[in-house]
Amino acid sequence: MKLPINSLKEYTKAKLNIENILHILSSKIGEVEGVTNLSEMYDGIYVAKILSKKDHPNADKLAIYKVAVGKEEIQVVAGDKTLKEGDRVAYIKPGYIVPSTYKTSDEFKIKAVSMRGVLSKGMLCSEKELNIGQNHTNVLVLPSDAPVGKPFSKYYQLDDTVIDIENKALTNRGDLFGIIGLAREIAGAQNIPFESPQWYKENRSDIKPEGNILPIEINNESQTLCPRYMIAVLDNVQVKESPVWLKSILIRSGIKPINNIVDITNYLSVLTAQPLHAFDYDKLVSNDPNGKSKAQITVRLARDGERIHTLDNKIVELNSNHLVIADSTNPIAIAGVMGGMDTEVDENTKRIIIESASFNRFSIRKTSMDLGIFTEAVTRYTRGQHPQLCLPILLKAISLAQELSNGVLASNIVDSYPEPSLTKGISLSIPRLNILLGTDISKEDVISILKNIEYTISEEKVEGDYITVVPPVFRTDILIPEDIYEDIGRIYGYENIHPTLPLRDITPPKKNREIELKKKIRSILSNSGCNEVDTYNFTSINAIRKSNQDPNVAYHIKNALSPELELMRTSLLPSLFDKAQSNLNRNIQTLCMYEFNIPHIKGYVDNFNLPKEDWHLSLLFSSKEALIDGNPYYEVKRYFEKIVNTLGIKPFEYELIFDSSEVDLPIWVKNILPLFSTTGAALIQYFKNGNKIIIGVIGDIDSGVKNNFKLPRYTAGFEINLEELKRCDTLDNRKIHNSKYPPITQDLCFTVNRDFKYKDLETIILDQVNARNRIATLECLDIYQKDSDVKNMTVRLSIEHMEKTLTDSEYEKLREKIFKKVLVLKN
Amino acid sequence: MLKDFSQILKEIDDDIHTLSQVELKQKYLSKSGVISKMFKELKEVPDKEKSEYGLKINQIKTLIEDNIKNRVEEKLEDKPLFKIDPTAPFDINSKKDKKPHILDLRGSSHPLMQELEKILDIFQRMGFNILESRQLDDDFHMFESLNFPKGHPARDMYDTFWTDDNFVLPAHTSTMQNRALRKFGPPPIRVVLPGRCFRNEATDASHEHTFYQIEGIYVDKDISFANMLATIKSYLEEYLEKELEIRVQPAYFPFTEPDAEFVISCPFCNKSGCSTCHYSGWIELMGCGMIHPNVLNSGGIDSQIYSGFAWGVGLDRLTAIKRGITDIRKLRDGDINFLRQF
Repeated sequence: MKLPINSLKEYTKAKLNIENILHILSSKIGEVEGVTNLSEMYDGIYVAKILSKKDHPNADKLAIYKVAVGKEEIQVVAGDKTLKEGDRVAYIKPGYIVPSTYKTSDEFKIKAVSMRGVLSKGMLCSEKELNIGQNHTNVLVLPSDAPVGKPFSKYYQLDDTVIDIENKALTNRGDLFGIIGLAREIAGAQNIPFESPQWYKENRSDIKPEGNILPIEINNESQTLCPRYMIAVLDNVQVKESPVWLKSILIRSGIKPINNIVDITNYLSVLTAQPLHAFDYDKLVSNDPNGKSKAQITVRLARDGERIHTLDNKIVELNSNHLVIADSTNPIAIAGVMGGMDTEVDENTKRIIIESASFNRFSIRKTSMDLGIFTEAVTRYTRGQHPQLCLPILLKAISLAQELSNGVLASNIVDSYPEPSLTKGISLSIPRLNILLGTDISKEDVISILKNIEYTISEEKVEGDYITVVPPVFRTDILIPEDIYEDIGRIYGYENIHPTLPLRDITPPKKNREIELKKKIRSILSNSGCNEVDTYNFTSINAIRKSNQDPNVAYHIKNALSPELELMRTSLLPSLFDKAQSNLNRNIQTLCMYEFNIPHIKGYVDNFNLPKEDWHLSLLFSSKEALIDGNPYYEVKRYFEKIVNTLGIKPFEYELIFDSSEVDLPIWVKNILPLFSTTGAALIQYFKNGNKIIIGVIGDIDSGVKNNFKLPRYTAGFEINLEELKRCDTLDNRKIHNSKYPPITQDLCFTVNRDFKYKDLETIILDQVNARNRIATLECLDIYQKDSDVKNMTVRLSIEHMEKTLTDSEYEKLREKIFKKVLVLKN
Repeated sequence: MLKDFSQILKEIDDDIHTLSQVELKQKYLSKSGVISKMFKELKEVPDKEKSEYGLKINQIKTLIEDNIKNRVEEKLEDKPLFKIDPTAPFDINSKKDKKPHILDLRGSSHPLMQELEKILDIFQRMGFNILESRQLDDDFHMFESLNFPKGHPARDMYDTFWTDDNFVLPAHTSTMQNRALRKFGPPPIRVVLPGRCFRNEATDASHEHTFYQIEGIYVDKDISFANMLATIKSYLEEYLEKELEIRVQPAYFPFTEPDAEFVISCPFCNKSGCSTCHYSGWIELMGCGMIHPNVLNSGGIDSQIYSGFAWGVGLDRLTAIKRGITDIRKLRDGDINFLRQF
């Protein structure tokens, strides 16, 4: 919303110096986006008179003018040869900037130059160069009474400062999209009572036509979307240029003047925030297939596929969600959004219909979004207007049209307002107000603050701590007492509220287990050389396919930024593949990265039927160097065990994907399996009270996936579900064993089948050794495969006794038992 | 001029690490492979460069052949039925010094998470609970329970992503307010709600479609706007380790009334003007306000008895400001050289 400061003068006696207004706007009303000093923008431009004209000796398309600027006489060469002696023009002096380029990236400064051998000192401006209209072919000719030598900005009343207020902060304040509304707030903020102009409160609808009656009929078929529709017809109008004052206020408000009728509607909209529209009566009647004798206007929903030629010269296809203004048959305007070309008011128009209406803001918004049409009217209607205001503003429009176009009222005020909406009183509690704000504002001050901005105080209802107030009609945002408490707080001044900490009990807050868990793991991994990344949820069909996964289980985003970002990822690892690849392309040889985040899978839902959101942890290890022997599975397993050992959770079991049955796997596990090599990766499992919990999958990445992401062969990772990890028990650290007798340690070597698992060996040994007072500690030293059938496993076994020093023969006995067992299993 | 071989060498380097033996042979050594193509091009090379060019091609050929030869030892892996023993601590035949171990690399936690942990820690000390926000939610939580009826123009302030199934990607952590009120009620309720948010807007150095926000709510008897100012101020002073001047500007959010924009004196230049505060001396940090009675009621809290405040602050911008990150996109592009500096 653009606010020209000088325009406020007419409505309030408030102090209008710029610092003061900026302070009020930003501390009590909304956010200031920018301030433009127009005097600066129009600096160096003067009203000049053409004294003489002659042809340019060396150029057919140029003319040489002698112009008078005050007492000075200056020679200017111009491309417009149509100017006559005596014409008043806007002349820009050398050294000054063309307004249309002011504060743009290519600011144009006028210089005295020789044009084809003739000196030209300055320039005569077109409308477009002056930034006040579209015409660029001709020099703007000013009215003949324009005072020669006067600065153009003074003459055009552009010696003003315009403040641009951020619309977002005013989203619910329809009234502040009008100059009068802002004047009221600024006055209120200065403790100055504001009174709206008399015409703004005018309520008589019984004014009578002055001459011929032009018949017109309204048929409002959609009262819910159009609570009020009113019009008046004027005959005998002269459509012409507006007077300077009217053009000036529009220019300062950022609107290009068009003609007096259109300018009047725009002017009142800028003043009051009530949009108006003018139709050409004769065009309406002659275009209407059934409209020979009278104008018929219908407010209705469009039919699917119906088209309209809009004022911005586009053909727009409508559907039955869009409210239109129609003649007996065809739409003539998109209600509250944009008028139609076929009933446009132009220089030949003699009779006009002025519309002042109230439309449902939600419906206007939907139509505007659907059609992608955003106009000043849409901006205002969607902020909320009160139907009560349609009448006074229509009356003002009629009187301005009479004054500026010699129009004659040719109809009654035709009004469709089936259910007048009333404003209700709201009861305020002064103590509650002061509790909510943390203030000590007196009842008298509350009354004065509210009266200044035109609330009505029902005097008889001022009882004790309670007062009943009626918000002014244009304040459609005021519904409950809190809305008024905000008005009081704003105007009283938030800066006058003293920050005070709340009093609270000292109950400690509960720890969030998930946050704590992530924090611990983060610290373990970051201290183990891993880098945490934070990657997008968004992915593409292609990227999911590259990971061997099913794009159909991914949520699809309707309004994605691009096809690359149209799906929600179903697991985290593929994001890490991507990031690993780009790092390995740089100077990184070996990396280990991880991320905590939430993947989403269709069909995986919680109790409320919302997508179930489990936090996952993914880690990826990838290396171009041969740092570690064997399958990379073992390297990531080392990282996983580092985490769980530090957390004190164990033991986990690892089942090769190849050996596991995929039946009954949770959907999130099934979804990540295809990322991994079936013979080089395993399910991580935990057994709790006989139930198997799958924590995640770990190991070598599928070679096809590695190829697709151009990852080195030595790449492995894991993805685990923290929701499941949380279910695992941590070791009970009250059962610490600590023997004062030295352990006996020996290295044992077993020859076993190729398929014999280390875990089985470990189980046998621990089963044989561990007893109430005996504890085994086992370390695997070597696994060596000579040929393809058998392998040697070497372990270091330490046995500790709690109550005595273990003898060699006792150790020997245990060893024999172990070898016997292994032999049984081996065969 | 001699053909530039650096491109092809780089490609080979990538392929050696990613392609299987068969694929490598197919691509480079087959009849229609890269190398025989290069030999064909030899004809067009000017005579004086021919010998050098030929030498280069031969070098490349040897490079690939050697690589394939060396891989023969690893053939075992390529056999589909070679299964590893997942229960072992290392692979068969691993040499002593090349067994799996935690490598000596430079680790790091993510700068956003570092800041998040600090902030959550402060709020925990101030007596707040923590509940993490969702990443896919429904219209009720994102809008309706927050006093945005269907079709409300204020919904436009949030450029929201929607899925085909009409789930919404939260554009603010306020999507958790209703849940938090129900979970931690009856008052006193003190909770912070961190989480990822999404906005459908183009990304640039200071805007991202994905970012973190931290919502906070405090509901009890007699909670005031003055309490809100003091609570947010003490948190920020603790976090930025500096005394601050504060200001509030009016704002509009359907779920708070009164609502405001919380502004602090620039902690980096002490109001003298710097690039962080755009030479204004002040930084707009967050939206805040007194929770709208409709929001309290829809969360099962009697707005006649209780009142409360809420705020939502963006973590990415705060982190960028605090850690001197000029391009916010760096936070999510996963560049390890960047991340290792934190």
